[in-house]
Amino acid sequence: MAKAKKEYLPMAVGFWGIGVPLLASVFLYCRTTAQKIAVFLCALVFLLIGTLIYRAKQ
Amino acid sequence: MNLAAVDWIFLIWYFILSIGIGVYYSGKAGKSISEYFVSGRSLPWWLLGTSMVATTFSSDTPLAVAGIVIKDGISGNWFWWTFMFGGSLTVFFFAHLWRRAAVLTEVEFIDIRYSGASARFLRGFKALYLGIPASCIIFGWVTLAMVKIIQIVFRTSGLQALGICILITIFYTALSGLWGVVATDMLLFAIAMLGAIVLSVASVEKVGGIKALLAAIQSISQQTGKNYLSVFPSLGQALPLAFFVALFVQWWAVYYPGAEPGGGGWVAQRMLAARNPKHAVSGTLWFNIAHYVIRPWPWIITALCAMVVFPELSAENAANVEAAYPRMLAILPKGIMGLMIASLFAAYMSTIESVLNLAGSYLLNDFYKPFLNKVATEKHYVLVSRLLVVFVAILGTGFSFILGSVKMGWALIMELSGGIGLVLLLRWYWWRINAWSEISAITASGLMAVYLKIFPDSILITSLSKKLQNLGFNVDPWAVNILLIVAFTTIVWIVVTFLTPPDSREKLLSFYKKVKPGGFWAPIAALNGKSYKLKVHPFLGWICGVLVILFFLLGIGEILFLRWAAGLLYLAGGTVSAIVLSKIIHKIDWEVQ
Repeated sequence: MAKAKKEYLPMAVGFWGIGVPLLASVFLYCRTTAQKIAVFLCALVFLLIGTLIYRAKQ
Repeated sequence: MNLAAVDWIFLIWYFILSIGIGVYYSGKAGKSISEYFVSGRSLPWWLLGTSMVATTFSSDTPLAVAGIVIKDGISGNWFWWTFMFGGSLTVFFFAHLWRRAAVLTEVEFIDIRYSGASARFLRGFKALYLGIPASCIIFGWVTLAMVKIIQIVFRTSGLQALGICILITIFYTALSGLWGVVATDMLLFAIAMLGAIVLSVASVEKVGGIKALLAAIQSISQQTGKNYLSVFPSLGQALPLAFFVALFVQWWAVYYPGAEPGGGGWVAQRMLAARNPKHAVSGTLWFNIAHYVIRPWPWIITALCAMVVFPELSAENAANVEAAYPRMLAILPKGIMGLMIASLFAAYMSTIESVLNLAGSYLLNDFYKPFLNKVATEKHYVLVSRLLVVFVAILGTGFSFILGSVKMGWALIMELSGGIGLVLLLRWYWWRINAWSEISAITASGLMAVYLKIFPDSILITSLSKKLQNLGFNVDPWAVNILLIVAFTTIVWIVVTFLTPPDSREKLLSFYKKVKPGGFWAPIAALNGKSYKLKVHPFLGWICGVLVILFFLLGIGEILFLRWAAGLLYLAGGTVSAIVLSKIIHKIDWEVQ
């Protein structure tokens, strides 16, 4: 299983690698509430997909 | 528009992630051409389906869809939405057959289905046609779209930025094969969608909210006499011929990249790379849902907002209308701008990486290997594949300088291949189709398309246009061309099929045993001693697949425009259809049926 997970790991890291800066940009750069909500939800989706890929069955 | 430091950091980070993922898989891809071109046939449905939709989502797509909305309103999208009928057909009638065929490329199918010298000619011809000119047209039009975006965003000729983007993509595509392509596609599609959603939210804010947007568009509609918000075309005094051609002819007749009748191109490549037939079916279904339901609304909303922000747009020419989408980027705040530009790069890269890998597969597996160098090591073939990928990339870049507009690329591909779709569908289900059927269809289609381009005022076009006008149609030259090409091509290939002998019984029997297609195979089934029948479930699945896509597509639109009752009704219809669809998929034995 550990070996199997490794196969998808770069994809999962890619999603986390986008999700984390997105989360930061909610607080740093989004000006309005609508932007904050949209970017925050997108960040959550990225983090969630990354986790799902990491845990995906081979 | 000026990018802040944080935007540049995000862009650079995005490129590092893309290259990193691509390079990671290079070792795996270098083992054999099966690993390089079909990922060792080990892809799960979610990965192959997402890769299909990522490839079909290119940098040109939001530009073209925005252009369609600004020019013809939301209903103009039926130009491509009608392909959902063909998409759902592919899911239930062809995806599992492709996987069972277990060839390396769509073109290699010719080798297992047809016999004789005509089959060899067809394989070589298609390998070169799909590998070089067809791939270069696609490469050219998506690159053209990217150049437009870069010119608007960076206010330069954009060649340096584009050059870097192309070099990075070629580098990891050549290195990592289909594994690298699908793995990066997964991330690139998500980033591309993220950018589209964020831009649509910011655009709606810019015009004062959805209610203000709707009021402004209704006012524009009153001024121009066009209903931009209607999802269905107006069936008033004159019937729109283009809509009817798209609805009743285009989706089964025209070989369009990403929507090939019966599957082809990168769609077939991913079905061939699936773990098993059921994964091929589920992945292709996911592709169709994501393609038609998830993608379009953010672009449509942004296009409508662009009409309000830039009121002069509706009177402008096609090329300027297509630029409306990237012009909207100016409203984004810093920090988010970098993300948005990365999303457009992502859309671009996800398409060209697939086009390059696919072109390499045709040229290597269906031309170099069978015709030029039959016996060589896997390492040698992988090396040649990588060189071919680079070769096509250089040619495709050159082609982008020739194309006039993004939509011109779409239309060109459609007209050149109009009418060949029916042969591609029937070759699975009718034993009598032979290599000459395909050769004659391709030739007739290409000749007719060229004839109609050279003689746009020919008697054929004028007389048919007049007749259609008398029947009450609002005639569109593109639709008339497609009708003529399809009619001529169909007559030619049917006549040629019956004038030429069928393929050898051995070849047909071997295909029948391997693929188990069902349909019209009586003489071969008799030889086999066992026949495979088409049952009712795939037909039900096809209808349910279309309903799921249609209901959710319309439901989301209605909800976005605050028409809650209609929206919820559509979504309820979509949910019921999805439940029935799921039961049908589980009921079918995809290994046999």
